[in-house]
Amino acid sequence: MDQQIVNAIFIGSIYALFAVGYTLVFGILDILNLAHSAVFMLGAAITYSVVVNHGQSFAVAAVIGLVASGFMGLVIEYVCLRPLRRRQAPPIAALISTIGLALVIVAAVEQGQVGSLFSWLWVDGSNSLAFPAGTVPDPTWHVGDLTLEASKVLIIPISIALMLILGYVMRFTQVGRGLRAVAENPRAARLMGLDVDRMITLTLVISSALGGLAGILFGLSLGDISPYIGRDNVEVRGLAVIVLGGMGSIPGAVIGGYLLGLIEILALVTLGSNARGGVAFAALFLMLVLRPQGLFGTRLRERL
Amino acid sequence: MDFFISLFSDPVGFWNSHTLLISQIGINGIVATSMFLVLYSGQLSLAAPGFMAIGAYTSVLMDLYLHTPLFLNVVVGVLLAGVVGVLVGLPVLRLRGVFLAIATIGFIEALRLGVVLNLPVTGEGLGLKNPNADPLGGVPIILVSLVVVLFIVWRLTKGRLGSAWSAIRQDEIAALSQGIYVARYKMIAFVLGALIASYAGALEAHLNFFVDPGDNQYGVTRAVQILTFAVLGGSGYVLGPVVGASLVTLFPYIFSSAGDYINVITGIFLIAVIVFRPQGIVGRGGFAIVRPAWWPRARLSAPSPG
Amino acid sequence: MNRIRVVSWLVITFLVAACGSTGGGGGGNSYSGKTIKLGAVFSITGPGGVYGPQSRDGAMLAVKQINASGGVNGAKIDLTVEDDASDKAQSAQKAQGLIQSNNVLAVLGPTLSNSAVAVHPLAESLKTPILAVSTTGIHIVPDCKFPDATPCKYVFRDSLGEQTAIPDNIKAYAEDQHPKTGVLLVAQDDKFSSDGGTIVQNTVGQYNISLLKVIKFSKNDADLSPYVTQAVQLKPDVIFITSLGGIPAKIMNAARNLGWQGQFLGGNGFNTATVSKQAGAAGKGARSASAWYIGNTFPSNKDFVDSYKTEYGKDPDQFAAQGFTGVLILADAAKRANLTFTDVAGDRDKLRSAMESVNIQTPLGPFQFTSDHDVKQTVWINQMDGAGGFTLVKEIPAS
Repeated sequence: MDQQIVNAIFIGSIYALFAVGYTLVFGILDILNLAHSAVFMLGAAITYSVVVNHGQSFAVAAVIGLVASGFMGLVIEYVCLRPLRRRQAPPIAALISTIGLALVIVAAVEQGQVGSLFSWLWVDGSNSLAFPAGTVPDPTWHVGDLTLEASKVLIIPISIALMLILGYVMRFTQVGRGLRAVAENPRAARLMGLDVDRMITLTLVISSALGGLAGILFGLSLGDISPYIGRDNVEVRGLAVIVLGGMGSIPGAVIGGYLLGLIEILALVTLGSNARGGVAFAALFLMLVLRPQGLFGTRLRERL
Repeated sequence: MDFFISLFSDPVGFWNSHTLLISQIGINGIVATSMFLVLYSGQLSLAAPGFMAIGAYTSVLMDLYLHTPLFLNVVVGVLLAGVVGVLVGLPVLRLRGVFLAIATIGFIEALRLGVVLNLPVTGEGLGLKNPNADPLGGVPIILVSLVVVLFIVWRLTKGRLGSAWSAIRQDEIAALSQGIYVARYKMIAFVLGALIASYAGALEAHLNFFVDPGDNQYGVTRAVQILTFAVLGGSGYVLGPVVGASLVTLFPYIFSSAGDYINVITGIFLIAVIVFRPQGIVGRGGFAIVRPAWWPRARLSAPSPG
Repeated sequence: MNRIRVVSWLVITFLVAACGSTGGGGGGNSYSGKTIKLGAVFSITGPGGVYGPQSRDGAMLAVKQINASGGVNGAKIDLTVEDDASDKAQSAQKAQGLIQSNNVLAVLGPTLSNSAVAVHPLAESLKTPILAVSTTGIHIVPDCKFPDATPCKYVFRDSLGEQTAIPDNIKAYAEDQHPKTGVLLVAQDDKFSSDGGTIVQNTVGQYNISLLKVIKFSKNDADLSPYVTQAVQLKPDVIFITSLGGIPAKIMNAARNLGWQGQFLGGNGFNTATVSKQAGAAGKGARSASAWYIGNTFPSNKDFVDSYKTEYGKDPDQFAAQGFTGVLILADAAKRANLTFTDVAGDRDKLRSAMESVNIQTPLGPFQFTSDHDVKQTVWINQMDGAGGFTLVKEIPAS
């Protein structure tokens, strides 16, 4: 059973890291960015591609992957969101617009074959791949009767450190205050002289970088990178996490992530391995029906 | 392009060799209309694939175990979906906007992964085989059904229900203050949508030799696809989503030169439509063009007093 | 004069075929100038993409060799290969396109048993012969419309079924090592994996192996560690893995990392170099039954292996051999079918009956269909060598 707790904590870290980006955008912009899972996948795919197809070291590749993910934040803002804000579109339009971008990203990677338009990005089409053995030193430690793989274990401190940094930035820095002002009331923030557009762009860049990082760590530790890892593994679970934790709450996303990891493992052990997938959604549905603001959410904002 | 050439030069032959495609367009049209209903009443519900699954599995299961005729199977499937629609609708309809969308996603995934995937009777992960499937013969029923459904929905939008739905869509709180029973009308739209979607699901199962709980069939991917039909076509008019469904289903054929990049193009189209023409293809009005800051504008000067 | 010429051509054909050449040419030129259109639906991308390209490469090699030595009675073979991305629905659509738009005489494939569920009944209802070259699940032949027991007349396969392969593999290991306990890991939403799992469950009792648990998971689940942890914590002697794609290697790596030292037994999913390489050292000794072994001494095998290596720069595997054989079977049937090349429906039916009486030498050995359109052949038990390849453990002749 103990080993299963290690499994739960590991997968919980991935969920938490992914969900933080999701909830950040929702908290500040009141928009559900459904391109987030595509950026998650893209981070992993680009890193893999740089290592395998362009022959760089993992460190270089990871940096490139991160930068590319952050860049996608810019793309999301300029292509999907800003044009809609300029046209006073309702928030549902942003939802659809990000869905469109997600489609484009996943399809682009899916069509990455040797000789295709996207071969600089990815050449393995819809195949599922792993980093070649030895890309990153990945020793396995045995502590008591627990087996700890380095790549999985290290995700925990990395995730926690990032979330602490983000929390610090949000609470104690000027930039953080600006972001919180925009979250509170964008119009007032603009009147007070804040460049709201810039704040929004920054939010998206940070969120996407976090999402891409989660993807890189996912791909590295689980040995599974394909155009579908976003959709299959985190897209809908991410929703469950932010609902559980409270939409817009960063601590909520963190706790929600680990909570979901634990719930899944618990269901697996008690109800059978089939139950793992369905449990997340049962939890999501129940939470929305009973306590829509989640564990840590504040008032329920009703846009639309 | 050969696609269109063969369409016009040999319509009968085209019809016969593309039955699967035409049937799929019809089914997509029917389920898009169910989406129209919920969007028209102001609800962003993504629950359609869940109801399709109920319709499909029920009719196939009845065929396999009870050997009842197709007509009865479909009716039972649709009724069951209606019941589930009421049960799901009750707690969920007080949620608004994005929250409703997420709750309906939760519903379809819980149904797919929690229920269908785990019940031995539904064939678990493999789904069910449908030995009486008729992939080549369903076209007339489907097209007739599509016309009937469109007509019914259109009549509804013209009547009292339609006005109530429009009022709710535009401003729910104002509608409430006008004395409209918002909850009741929303539920009606939701359940009707469920009935139509499950009918489409049952028909689709009849066409295929299999019914399976894959993400493409009854999961989020399908929900997004159906939403795309409605958005591209335009959810202001009854015909909008059907037009959107037909176009999207035909995309791979129209843009056959784009070959494999079809999904990339669909995504770009979706973004372009929602930004520049949010009312969809069948909507009224022009393109939403915003002049960039550097475009010269006429200067207005206020008349000086005095 | 004519009769002597026909007879001498027939004799030459027979000799050439019997000597294990690629079975083409020399059969007279009654089809000269015509094209035999064939189609194939393989999984070139997606999880099945670990196997599909080899089937395609084997098939294309056979087409190339046959066309180069005079074609089939003078007709060239034109093989169109479509990718179904391992998706059932796409597989059905591509198959329908090949049959109804391209008017092919016969179809090879699809790669995955999961897709065959949709494609085979479709081909049957469109009365087009379809030859499976890698699907090994149950209810492929003859009951492609299971639970309807009507035999499907147009469906054939040259790929050894798991119904034979898995029990042979378990038997060979059990008689040697006498394991007591096992755990089965099965991807329940994939027919190939699920069928394999059913066969394992039905077989272990015969060899006194107690199946401690059947752990089901979804093939899309990237995080397999909880399932492997559950399996390893039960301390079984054997772990049965019936999945395909990247899953077997992940399970093997995870189990070894957790310190488990037992035996892996698998199905056809193991039988390709990619999987052996991915499993690496963790996979050493993992056993499966294969329909083909690279070093087998059947007459046409060495030529096949050499020409495949020359053409593609790598060794062929079981899937390549089965794809290659598939084309040989179709070509041989086409030769004897008296095709008209004008009546597609009639030609397909003639091809179908000619296929039933196929009897040729192939890299898989001497090949004939059973009355159920299935294949009866030698089984080779392989094990992974830990370095990306396989070694032979045992050869079990056809019973």
